[in-house]
Amino acid sequence: MPQLFVLFENASGYGLFEAVEFDDMSALGSQVAKTVDDMSRFGKVVKLTAFQPFTSAEDALGNINDVSEHVLNETLKKFLEMNLPEVKAGKKPKYKLGVIEPKIGTAVQEELGVPCVSNETIFEVVRGIRCHLERYIKGLEGGAMAKAQLGLAHSYSRAKVKFNVNRADNMII
Amino acid sequence: MVEPHRHTGVFVSRGKEDALVTRNLVPGKTVYGEKTVKVDSDVPDGEKIEYRVWNPFRSKIAAAILGGVANIWMQPGSKVLYLGAASGTSVSHVSDLVGPEGVVYAVEFSHRSGRDLINMAKSRPNIVPIIEDARHPLKYRMLVGMVDTIFADVAQPDQSRIVALNAHYFLKTGGHVVVSVKANCVDSTAKPEAVFAMERERMKEENIKPQEQLTLEPYERDHAVVVGEYRGSKKA
Repeated sequence: MPQLFVLFENASGYGLFEAVEFDDMSALGSQVAKTVDDMSRFGKVVKLTAFQPFTSAEDALGNINDVSEHVLNETLKKFLEMNLPEVKAGKKPKYKLGVIEPKIGTAVQEELGVPCVSNETIFEVVRGIRCHLERYIKGLEGGAMAKAQLGLAHSYSRAKVKFNVNRADNMII
Repeated sequence: MVEPHRHTGVFVSRGKEDALVTRNLVPGKTVYGEKTVKVDSDVPDGEKIEYRVWNPFRSKIAAAILGGVANIWMQPGSKVLYLGAASGTSVSHVSDLVGPEGVVYAVEFSHRSGRDLINMAKSRPNIVPIIEDARHPLKYRMLVGMVDTIFADVAQPDQSRIVALNAHYFLKTGGHVVVSVKANCVDSTAKPEAVFAMERERMKEENIKPQEQLTLEPYERDHAVVVGEYRGSKKA
C-alpha cells in the first residue's frame, strides 16, 4: 500500500498530514464518520507530518489568493518539496498526496511529479483535520485559529471589494 | 422589561408592543437604524444592558422564531456559517446571539452589500466576513472552520446543492441546516408547497434529514424555513 499524505491549507499556514490507515475508507461506511469525529481514534490514523505558519498578514493574503485561484506558488512548492519524501528522477514515487481541490493537485503533479488524489476518502480526512486542527498544532488553541481566520478574511474580502473587475456592481446611487 | 426567550440568546422586550430583541454585542452602536431597549444591569452599579430590536419583516430568522420554530440551532457559543449574508443586518443579530464565544462566517457574493458587511464586521469581532461565491466553498476553505449550523438565505434555484456542498466541507456530523426557501426563486411556475416538498427531497438526497418546515407568513409571502440534520445518527 502506498503512503498517503494529505495537504491542509488554513488561515494560519500549511499543514501536511499522513494518513496511516485510511486507504480503504469507503469500505468502512458509517464507521468512517465515527472515526473522524473521535479525536482519540482519528489521531491514531492521521498524524501531523509538518506545519508551516505564514510569516505575516501579507504572506497569508498572498497565499490564500493563490490557493483560491489554484496556483501552486513558491511557498507551497517549497513546503511540499521540503516535507514530502524526495522524488528520484526516473522513479515512480511510493506515495500519494491527497488534496481537497483537484486543480491544485494537477499543478502539484505537473511541477513536482508527485501523484495526487482527490476523492471521498480525502474529503473525510480533511473534515477530520478541520475538526481537530487545534489539537494537532501547538499555539492554535484558545482562539488563535479564529483570530487568524478573522484577520485573513478581512484582508481577503477587502481586497475583493477593492479590486472589483466588474465595475457594474460598484454603482453609487 | 426584557425576558429571555425560549431560544437561548434571544430575548423579548415587554412593553406597549412586545418585540424580539438580541443583546447588543457592541453597546452604544446600532447597525441599520434599529431601535434599542436599555434596562438596568443585573449586578448592582453595573452598566445598563442594551438590546437591539429584531424586526421579523427584515430578518427571516426573526420571522421563524416568531412563527414558533422548534429550534434555530444557534445559541451562545455556536459557530454558524451564514450563506447569503447581504449587508449583514440579520447577521448582526446572529452575532449578538452567539456572543463573544461564537463565530459567524458570513458569506456574501455581491460586492455592493459586501462593503456594508465588511464595515459592520469591523466592530464585531465574532463575524468573519467572506466576499466570495457560496457556490465555490473551496475558494474560502482557508477561512472557515467546522461549524455547528449552516443558515442559508441565497434565493437561488440550486440552493439545496449550494447548502449541501458547504455542509460536506464545513458542517460537523450531526450539525444542522436552516434554509430559507423562497418558492419563487426556486421555481416560479410550481405551487409553493410543491417547491418546498421538492427542496426537502433534494436535502434527503444529500444526507440532510428534514426535521421541520415552517411558513414565514405573515412576514414573508410564499417563503418557508426548512430545518434539517446533517449525517444524523441512524437511530434517532
